[in-house]
Amino acid sequence: MTNRSATSSNIFQAVADPTRRAILGHLKLSDQSAGFLCAQFAISQPAVSQHLRVLLDAGLVSERRDGRRRLYKLEPAPLKEVDDWVKEYEHFWEEKLDALGDYLDRKKNKR
Amino acid sequence: MRRDIHVEAFYPHPIELVWEALTDSDALAEWLMPNDFVPKLGHKFQFRTKPAPGFDGIVDCKVIEIVKGKRLSFTWKGGPLDTLVTFNLEPLSNGTRLKLEQKGFEGIRAVLVSFILGKGWKKKILPLSLPSVLDRLAARQAARSV
Repeated sequence: MTNRSATSSNIFQAVADPTRRAILGHLKLSDQSAGFLCAQFAISQPAVSQHLRVLLDAGLVSERRDGRRRLYKLEPAPLKEVDDWVKEYEHFWEEKLDALGDYLDRKKNKR
Repeated sequence: MRRDIHVEAFYPHPIELVWEALTDSDALAEWLMPNDFVPKLGHKFQFRTKPAPGFDGIVDCKVIEIVKGKRLSFTWKGGPLDTLVTFNLEPLSNGTRLKLEQKGFEGIRAVLVSFILGKGWKKKILPLSLPSVLDRLAARQAARSV
């Protein structure tokens, strides 16, 4: 439970950054090494590592050792969770605007 | 896939009454959530409801725009969201049209379009049946107001 709530709140911050979205784009095609990912961007290696750390903390990527390399892998399940969250907001507002209608009707009947 | 949330409603009531329901704290507590809203530009307030997994029950807001009888806009920060909610009112001959817009999903939606609709997505996803935080909030709200 605790992990899931932390993941949800980190994901929005994680995908707000275009470099991190680009990293996810590379990983969507296949798992990649840290070296490959750093080579894709003009920013410094520590900066790319920092982006990877954010994505790891958000649960959007996982990391494993392959000999001396570190490989990164996309973990898409958290995105599905957030997609559900976002869709629920549409339901939420539809229900609330219905409730507003009921409220207005109640007030009218009292006038 | 639309990036923002848009919901429209029609109410067979005069626009002044709909505006009051949007800007009176007690009214908002009845149809939306308990709050300390004041219709003043820059006012910071909160909506409060029961917590659920991933959500502490508090939505932090700030009034960004207020055009009396026409438009109300405030930030809406709750759980992982950082969004802007806008209500627009339009008088019609037989009532009021309300348009609600919630913006701020651009980053997340950009990724979702790319990944959820992309190839290989379905194979990687474990079937998840997640409880809906807001369905439960709405259900609780509905149960309390009966």
